[in-house]
Amino acid sequence: MSGLRVLVIIPAHNEQESLPRTLGEVRAAAPEAGVLVVDDGSRDATASVARRHGVSVLRHPVNLGVGGALQTGFRWALEHGYDVGVQLDADGQHDPADLAALLEPIRAGRCDVSIGSRYVRRSGYRAPVARRLGMVLFSGLVSAVLHERITDTTSGFRAYARPVMEVCQHDFPKDFPDAPLLIALGRRGFRLKEVPVEMRERRAGRSFYTLGKSLYYPYKNLLASLMALLQRPAQL
Amino acid sequence: MAFLSRTQVITAVGAVLLVLYVLDLVRRRKLSEEYSLLWVMCTVVVAALGFSTPLLTWLTRTLGMMGASSTVFAFGLAFTMAMLLHLSVKLSRLGQENHALTRELALMRHELEGLREDREPVGGPADTGPAERG
Repeated sequence: MSGLRVLVIIPAHNEQESLPRTLGEVRAAAPEAGVLVVDDGSRDATASVARRHGVSVLRHPVNLGVGGALQTGFRWALEHGYDVGVQLDADGQHDPADLAALLEPIRAGRCDVSIGSRYVRRSGYRAPVARRLGMVLFSGLVSAVLHERITDTTSGFRAYARPVMEVCQHDFPKDFPDAPLLIALGRRGFRLKEVPVEMRERRAGRSFYTLGKSLYYPYKNLLASLMALLQRPAQL
Repeated sequence: MAFLSRTQVITAVGAVLLVLYVLDLVRRRKLSEEYSLLWVMCTVVVAALGFSTPLLTWLTRTLGMMGASSTVFAFGLAFTMAMLLHLSVKLSRLGQENHALTRELALMRHELEGLREDREPVGGPADTGPAERG
């Protein structure tokens, strides 16, 4: 395929158990891609485990959340001349074997952001009712705004082309880079596409999303989505 | 109504004490001038309402308040709200700055470690001469 330089960015917060397998799988699936682990203020051996696997490691002295970890990753990708940044969870939810599929629409120039979605093809995932309701709401909102069907707004398996990373390194939602981010990117004129992928059960560690934020999450995301709609697409 | 009621005296004296305390905090550099402004404005207004009966009764009548003390409280509350909002805005900005600094720190530390690794094979760690440390 065309020689795009790809950096796999893995935000990791206390993921020493699941990281080795994830890193091994990434290397096997995409040996030519660069790998960067952003240790987001871990208290365990995440950074040294990653270093032992020979990948680049950036460490946040305090926990910033996925958004902050990704921003750091984007900056690094830009400074090191990468064309695409892929966001991949450390916990093993995402199968690196899907990387090629995720990158394909960007390689072909059909989109600027591709989103690995678990709902395009049934992969046996069942979420609690409240969460499903939220997902329907946000995917409806995003799809309506973008005129492009996006079923999984919370997917943490995405590929961002360089121009998107350039915008995002300065302006990015802090804690949940979900629906508001997609809306903001769409309004800036970036094209988003969904790609079917398999999602697995997380192996170890705790999800970024289960930290007692069940009430704050929908409020914040709804508000931020509306703000993203109201804001003029900022000049670059 | 020429004389000050007891509540007026208490509010006014309290406000004066507070403004003195705020100024003292600024003097001891525990509070930056920037934040003292709203506090001083708040206490000055409350003290003025407390000491001046004509001003207070006029304001109470104009605003249609039920009692003079409500007017004092309303002003105090308005300032408190303004102060809290001001603080939330400042706090958000602090958070953003903190966020940016943390990210920058991660990148810089990585660069520093890289530089150190490049340097060590040449002369070993002992090579980093005392000249740099002064």
